[in-house]
Amino acid sequence: MAEVKTTREVVMNRAAIAAVFVALIVMLTPIYWIASTAFKPRSLATTAPPTVFFEPTLTPFAKLFVRRSQMREPVDQETYDAAPWWEQLIYDDGESVVRNRRSGEITPSGYWDRYKNSLIISIISTFLAVSMGTLTAYGFSRFKVKGENDWLFFILSTRMLPPVVVAIPMFLMYRAVGLHDTHLGLIILYTAFNLSFSVWIMKGFIDEIPREYEEAALVDGYTRLQAFIKIVLPEALTGIAATAVFCFIIAWNEYAFALMMTNRNAQTAPPYIPSQVGSGLPDWSVIAAGAFLFLLPVAIFTFLLRNHLLRGMSFGAIRK
Amino acid sequence: MKRFASRLLAGAAVGAFIAPAAMAQELNIFWAEWDPANYLQELVNDYEAETGVIVNVETTPWSDFQTKAFTEFNARGSAYDLIVGDSQWLGAASEGGHYVDLTDFFVEHDLGNIMAPATVKYYAEYPGNSGKFWAVPAEGDAVGWSYRKDWFEDPAEMEAFKAKYGYDLAPPETWAQLLDIAEFFHRPDEDRYGVAIYTDNSYDAMVMGVENAIFSYGGDLGDYETYEVEGILNSPQNVKALEDYKRLYSYTPPGWSKTFFVENNQAITEGLAAMSMNYFAFFPALLNPATNPHAENTGFFPNPAGPDGDQHAALGGQGISIVSYSENIDEAYRFLEWFIQPEVQKRWAELGGYTAHAATLESEEFRNATPYNEAFYQTMFRVKDFWAVPEFAELLTSANQRLYPYVVGGEGTAEEALDALAADWVETFKKYGRTE
Amino acid sequence: MADVMTRLEPDTRAVARGLSDMTIRNLFIIPTIAFLIIFNVFPLLYSLWQSFTDFRASTTAPANWIGLANYRDLLGDEFIWRNFTITAKYVLISVSGQVVVGFGLAMLLNRAIPMKGLITTLLLLPMMLSMAVVGLFWKLLYDPSFGIINYFLGLGKFEWLADPQVALFAVAIVDIWMWSPFVMLLSLAGLSAVPKHLYEAAEIDRASSLYTFFRITLPLVAPILMIAIIFRTMEAFKTFDHAYILSSQPTTELIAIRLYKMAFLEWQTGMSSAFAYIVLIMVVAITNIYVKYLNRAKAR
Repeated sequence: MAEVKTTREVVMNRAAIAAVFVALIVMLTPIYWIASTAFKPRSLATTAPPTVFFEPTLTPFAKLFVRRSQMREPVDQETYDAAPWWEQLIYDDGESVVRNRRSGEITPSGYWDRYKNSLIISIISTFLAVSMGTLTAYGFSRFKVKGENDWLFFILSTRMLPPVVVAIPMFLMYRAVGLHDTHLGLIILYTAFNLSFSVWIMKGFIDEIPREYEEAALVDGYTRLQAFIKIVLPEALTGIAATAVFCFIIAWNEYAFALMMTNRNAQTAPPYIPSQVGSGLPDWSVIAAGAFLFLLPVAIFTFLLRNHLLRGMSFGAIRK
Repeated sequence: MKRFASRLLAGAAVGAFIAPAAMAQELNIFWAEWDPANYLQELVNDYEAETGVIVNVETTPWSDFQTKAFTEFNARGSAYDLIVGDSQWLGAASEGGHYVDLTDFFVEHDLGNIMAPATVKYYAEYPGNSGKFWAVPAEGDAVGWSYRKDWFEDPAEMEAFKAKYGYDLAPPETWAQLLDIAEFFHRPDEDRYGVAIYTDNSYDAMVMGVENAIFSYGGDLGDYETYEVEGILNSPQNVKALEDYKRLYSYTPPGWSKTFFVENNQAITEGLAAMSMNYFAFFPALLNPATNPHAENTGFFPNPAGPDGDQHAALGGQGISIVSYSENIDEAYRFLEWFIQPEVQKRWAELGGYTAHAATLESEEFRNATPYNEAFYQTMFRVKDFWAVPEFAELLTSANQRLYPYVVGGEGTAEEALDALAADWVETFKKYGRTE
Repeated sequence: MADVMTRLEPDTRAVARGLSDMTIRNLFIIPTIAFLIIFNVFPLLYSLWQSFTDFRASTTAPANWIGLANYRDLLGDEFIWRNFTITAKYVLISVSGQVVVGFGLAMLLNRAIPMKGLITTLLLLPMMLSMAVVGLFWKLLYDPSFGIINYFLGLGKFEWLADPQVALFAVAIVDIWMWSPFVMLLSLAGLSAVPKHLYEAAEIDRASSLYTFFRITLPLVAPILMIAIIFRTMEAFKTFDHAYILSSQPTTELIAIRLYKMAFLEWQTGMSSAFAYIVLIMVVAITNIYVKYLNRAKAR
């Protein structure tokens, strides 16, 4: 793209960069606060006035992964010295590690198991929602369908009912067919949640891709399926990336159904993270640590897709 | 990538199709996520050592506890064998058939006399005085107060207080003193405030707080046997109690509009307030120097008496019940038999659980174990509770709708709020056919 | 609508190779629709039936058919009407806030900016957090004693959440913070599709920047922006987690909060189903209007 830059453009560009910088600060301050709290000792998490500078510690992360309880009497020096560094950090913070009485093993907290479940469920359901959504969007975009506006509105409407109301019948239904407390159950649930979104966004993007290109390909001897795969899909990548990011976020953070539909087999992390509030004093730094680690996969996923997200709809140029 | 995906799929399929097998050698107890649940896990490890039966204490955050438990009940779920449920649930859980009737067990083991009377009445029996029991009192709890000893014992403060109010500054014995002291320490310019109270109206927090005033002022929420409300709930002493609760609100730290146990403990640890209302179960965190920098300077007192000398407190705590849909009911009974033994109850208290076992409670050993056990012991013999009818949550909703705008929003008068609430409750009881 | 005119009749076989268009269409569409129908029909019919009964999921008492009594009670309840007014106000503030901030950010980013990929990812971070965590931490940020908002802005002891008049705005600000990135990302995709030569032509015509914006930029971005607005509106109506955690003021009791209490604290299953259907009808009506606008924007 050859650009002839006028002075006005240069000034506008600089002003925009400055404005983006300000927006970044505003949007990221709360995130920074969560991230920094994850590295604070418990005593500095809430102070009046707030503590901005501090010496970072890994204690919150050590605590996140093991089951702990309020220390009632100081730990004896021998046990303390024999303990690994992370266990010492927990003792330093006035908590003791809950052990299995018989084996003496440390009891892990639910975090890591739930984290794994979250990964399995979110990745698969995102894949399903995006692929089904893309195919359906293509179908609606390119072919005549009887009552298509009504069908599309039906698809949209599946996202309108307040979830609390379908929760009870859904729960009964899941119990009846044995999907309760299974990974598959949550995968199906989140796929259904995300489908309406995925279909609508993908249709928005595919509508923008001029059909002349496909038709040219058909004339060149492609089958319809080949044209879809080789012409349409690459052009829809921005939409697919954006949809995947959104679907992943929704599935990753879903709380209410994750809480109700699972017991011990398929529990995900979101209902667990805030539970550190329970012990009479909120352990803000552990909550922050849990939230921080939980943010990483989505952030990395988005960062990897960034170029696709930003590419835009390149064919739009010849849109009528 | 393909292999990764297929492995994930396989993992999901395995997870999906191997249903958790019912093993008789395992019991699952459901409770909320807090320290006592950890203590219980430690306690039941002994049971495992003795019998080989694995007992898991499973937890969920307090804010989700009721929802999760009743969703399981309503779907007749067998995921949990025992549940340590809130006292208000008794009506809903017994009438709904979710709890196993423990009356025979109760009588056989003479639990009515072994456990402290208030805990039997509120954690186990439903309807009131029916002689039907649904739970074994497990974790006793009530509302008490913590305070800053160093502020109270500062000679300059003591002198100033005496000059202003004409009596010595000490932990309050009456609500009048409580109000004076709250007013005295309320100094927004110094970032010091008088008192921390419950104001969250999303469930039962604020109502618990108001109950502390109402019960000590000699009032009641209604007649729990005849469901009469009019004239009892909106009695003159209740109006006075509510007015004073609102006065306390004016001495709270800024932004004190949605507060419960977390915020009230924080008021002490962060040095915001002179006194703070909270459940005894949350006090251990205040004695831990790692979590409370003022641990050495934190003292405790029971809920003070009202103008006529009545002294009561709002009840917390839970009983342990057998879930009707459990596949291990016999094993659950065996567990309860083990749990009620005096030595187990003693161990439970040592671990940090608040036993409801009368003999253990009364022992010198227990009463001197912590700075707040004595206050806890005294309080447990004068607790009162909210309605335990199945529609208790609707009663709570009306109470929140009527009381909160008055206490926090400053709308209307205490009398108007209580009159309106009494009318709401009368209507609710009519709706469920409890009154004509 | 020009769109429909150029669309293929699937049964006129455009190509004689591979799968027929008809087969492809059916293969692409039918599984999704069938899945959504199977998945949604039972819960929808079940709760519709419940809405005409006095069913309480927490008891064993059988459900009695009480006709429209639930609907009548709900529409006659002063507190419910207040919930509706509050929600309307909230949806308006939060969605328009998200559109202004999100679209504004997209306009700013729609140019050659160093490290654009990184900046976009960073700006998307707020919506990646779980709502419950957002609620808990914003409660802390707003706190007059411990919070950094008053501390950094020098607002002293300003009570964001305790003041009944301010609380709803405070809740909406969190929603705007969290979901503006959503509008931003979709707008950005739309904006980058606006062909450069249109701007150049406008420049040659010495068109004002306002004219360029309203005549060129906005119409071309409108369809995708409209989809973003539709989804944000639908979600805003359902706002629960962070609002429930942040404030318990009567002035912030959104429909979803009341609905949650009715369904899961009070276990008035029948009544709450009726409530949900009233909400559903409203959301369907509003969305319908949006979709009409969307189709019109596309036709242009």
